[in-house]
Amino acid sequence: MKKDLIIAVILWFVFTAVGEYWAFNANMFPIAAAEEAVFLDDAFRLLIILAMPVFTLVLTFLFFSILRYRSKGDPDSDGPPMRTNTPLAAGWLAITTGLAIFVVINPGLKGMAELSANPNADLVIQVTGEQWHWDVSYPQYDLTYQRATQIALPADARVKFELTSTDVIHSLWIPAFRLKMDAVPGRDTSFYVTPTEIVDTEMDSNVRVQCAELCGTGHARMQMAVRIMEPDEFEAWVAEAKAMTMSGDMEGMDMGSSSDSMDGMDNMDSESDNMDGMDSGDGDMDMDTDSGMDMDSGDSDMDMDSGSDDMNMNSDSDG
Amino acid sequence: MRTIIQGLVGGVIAFIIGAALLGIVRLAFGLSFWGGEASLVAGWLAFVIGWLLGVGVWEYWVREWFNLPVKKFEATGTSRYFTFCTDHKVVGIQYLVTFLGLFLLAGLLAMVMRAELMAPGRNYMSGATYNNVMSLHGTIMVFVGVAATVGAFGNYILPIMIGAEDMAFPRLNALSFWFVPPVAILLLASVFSNGYDTGWTGYATLASSTREGVIFYNLAFFTVGFSSILGAVNILTTVIALRAKGMYWGRLPIFVWASLGTAILSLIFTQFIALAMIMSLLDRVAGFSFFDAFAGGDPLLYQNVFWFYSHPAVYVMILPGLGIALEIISVFSRKPLFAYKWAVFGMMGVVVLSALVWAHHMFTSGMDSPLRIPFMITTELISVPTGLVFLTALGTMWGGKLILKTPMLFALAVIFNFLIGGITGIFLSDVPVDIQLQDTFFVVAHFHYTIVGGGIFALFAGIYYWYPKMTGRMYNERQGKIQFWWMFIGFNLTFIPMFWAGLNGMNRRIADYVPDLGNINFFTSMSAFFLGIGFLLFVYNMAVSLKKGEVAADNPWGGYTLEWQTSSPPPLENFDTPPEVVGDPYGYGEPDAKHVIFPAPAATD
Repeated sequence: MKKDLIIAVILWFVFTAVGEYWAFNANMFPIAAAEEAVFLDDAFRLLIILAMPVFTLVLTFLFFSILRYRSKGDPDSDGPPMRTNTPLAAGWLAITTGLAIFVVINPGLKGMAELSANPNADLVIQVTGEQWHWDVSYPQYDLTYQRATQIALPADARVKFELTSTDVIHSLWIPAFRLKMDAVPGRDTSFYVTPTEIVDTEMDSNVRVQCAELCGTGHARMQMAVRIMEPDEFEAWVAEAKAMTMSGDMEGMDMGSSSDSMDGMDNMDSESDNMDGMDSGDGDMDMDTDSGMDMDSGDSDMDMDSGSDDMNMNSDSDG
Repeated sequence: MRTIIQGLVGGVIAFIIGAALLGIVRLAFGLSFWGGEASLVAGWLAFVIGWLLGVGVWEYWVREWFNLPVKKFEATGTSRYFTFCTDHKVVGIQYLVTFLGLFLLAGLLAMVMRAELMAPGRNYMSGATYNNVMSLHGTIMVFVGVAATVGAFGNYILPIMIGAEDMAFPRLNALSFWFVPPVAILLLASVFSNGYDTGWTGYATLASSTREGVIFYNLAFFTVGFSSILGAVNILTTVIALRAKGMYWGRLPIFVWASLGTAILSLIFTQFIALAMIMSLLDRVAGFSFFDAFAGGDPLLYQNVFWFYSHPAVYVMILPGLGIALEIISVFSRKPLFAYKWAVFGMMGVVVLSALVWAHHMFTSGMDSPLRIPFMITTELISVPTGLVFLTALGTMWGGKLILKTPMLFALAVIFNFLIGGITGIFLSDVPVDIQLQDTFFVVAHFHYTIVGGGIFALFAGIYYWYPKMTGRMYNERQGKIQFWWMFIGFNLTFIPMFWAGLNGMNRRIADYVPDLGNINFFTSMSAFFLGIGFLLFVYNMAVSLKKGEVAADNPWGGYTLEWQTSSPPPLENFDTPPEVVGDPYGYGEPDAKHVIFPAPAATD
């Protein structure tokens, strides 16, 4: 058995080495389009590196025992009556506790500190979730988009997302940033991100806003395109967007007319009452958002069977 | 059958009375007689009472209490299983078969989901239908996870293992099972009212604004909680009070310890899920505003109350499974359970820590950011006592004589799967990493690895292990092994890719996804269909072996625990002579080891 132990430990080292080689080098992540994404990927990788010896230890001893000690047919005698080994158990307890505490500190606490290190934002974007679309505004520029289909972001600027909801809980997730935060009715939540890559949804579907908290029928398609631009390109975009607002295109926006809000009371039979506002607002976005994904707006086969408009009435004042 | 008809008649009459009483009150206040959801709730609560009176409460409690002539309906043979039967072995089988049926049904719903997810875009169903299917799958599977293993083996095997004649409260035991059928009916009935789309979590405030089917979910969860609490009281009392002479705490089989931990969790925490359901119902039906932010409530309150139960509930699902796996590994390695006391310590550590981890489900909910730190710490630490179970499993196998029969294969798969489930749990408990992974398929894969890969694999291990004891016949070993490999391969092929999908932008509970994820989902769906077929093999093996299997010996595995020291199946009160425990149950390989003796009956008189 002593020989078995030596063989098993050697195998464990070998498997750990192979596993660690993979952990250090594997390309397992989708596009990382923000500073945060890079260090959160590092945090994920660090956890794999730390978990690998534990993982290989259990698997090595599990499979070594299965292959080495399996008996053909019923054995004629029992195994050796080993009861316990207190130093081993105590050591096991100490090492696993140490590992657990280590991962609390790094990447846990370290990562949390890094995410909230800098509370100064260059750009604030307010996003309000509502079944099943997002309202986006840039308060610094007086720009507001109801039922937005796209968010424009400047690269290398620290952006603060301020979130809330008018009806149920939604969650704003941008996979390429590795960040998400729930949009909760009656609460203001936020997170910071510093986009770095000049990419958009059309180039990679992970550069998108996806609702990540189950919010009803249209949950899966409660998405928005994301476009990250060079800072000067973003300035130009803002100027153009403001010019459009001045020229009166605001009328196209959904101001939540109360007449069609009232007939949404019955949850079951109002197929049409959401459609009134569907096409409005979209025209204000000056970029092509046809990215191959089914975006929320204008998607006529979406069966919005729940009349949420009775809750939409006050959305403008909340947003 | 008579029991069920009585129950249904009683239930329907009570439903009418309950709804009518509310209707009269409503009329008095100038409202319509039928109040929609409110009337359904009143009717349902009355239905449960009527159902329970019908199935046995009237015969067993009411008539006897008032000294009326009691005509108990004592059935024998197969028909016992359809009656209000107080024999713990019958109750165990009732739990097992009922929940296996529900498991297969919810599994079928999973197949429906995978069919829709096979390709991006809308394939077979609307987003609303998908959400209904997903919600029903989750809810039924949670009920199966909570009740199947401990309901089946905690009732059937546990009393025999400690040398008891029956559970401490046999009637209560029967009662706790008979809460289950109406809950199953209720959940399935939700389909006829367009279902509900809140998932099994029923978060506020979606629950208060969505379709009316959500009240079926609220009422079902509320009602099944009674079953959990009564069952837990029974197991706790049985283990404390009915252990055979000499069955000291240090000699309890590990499965009994695991069930004890489970019962403690169920007893303490189930009331919080009932509370969450009641508050949610009151918000919706009676116009309260516990969770309505625009009327003074807080949606996060729901999540706190909900997870205060629902995280401990995952240990309710997994602890009995770990207990079964360790029992089997000891017997089939022909070695004593290694570091037994450390394993018990680990299980109890899990019980204690599980009360302190609930908010790790809320790391991205907008809760106060620094408050996430204590929950990150407790969640990381819960891996430590869990780790002791792995030490015990590996130490027991080391140097043993492993018999790789079907129960052992399933038990070893529990260790393998739960290792993956446990390690990925570390990723989810670490706040920065969880921000990306929360609500993605990474989470879906993680909890299927723990609850299915751990809990359900252990349920199958237990079924194969105790099949000869419960039926008196052997299952078909060859078919059992084929089913094991089928299920093990299918399971891993289904859920490993989900980790990748979650990391790459696939969030959970969606009927549709971006086209880039098409290939991985197609592969996952194919694997899932393969996995699904594997359960048909299991049903076939079980059904055929019941009639045609070899007659089983009393102790086909050479186990030392008490259930193997009586006939297969055991007689009505389990032992012909009361057993006396003289040593611990894991003395494999020790020359003079003895767990139990049966003193001559003459000595008792």
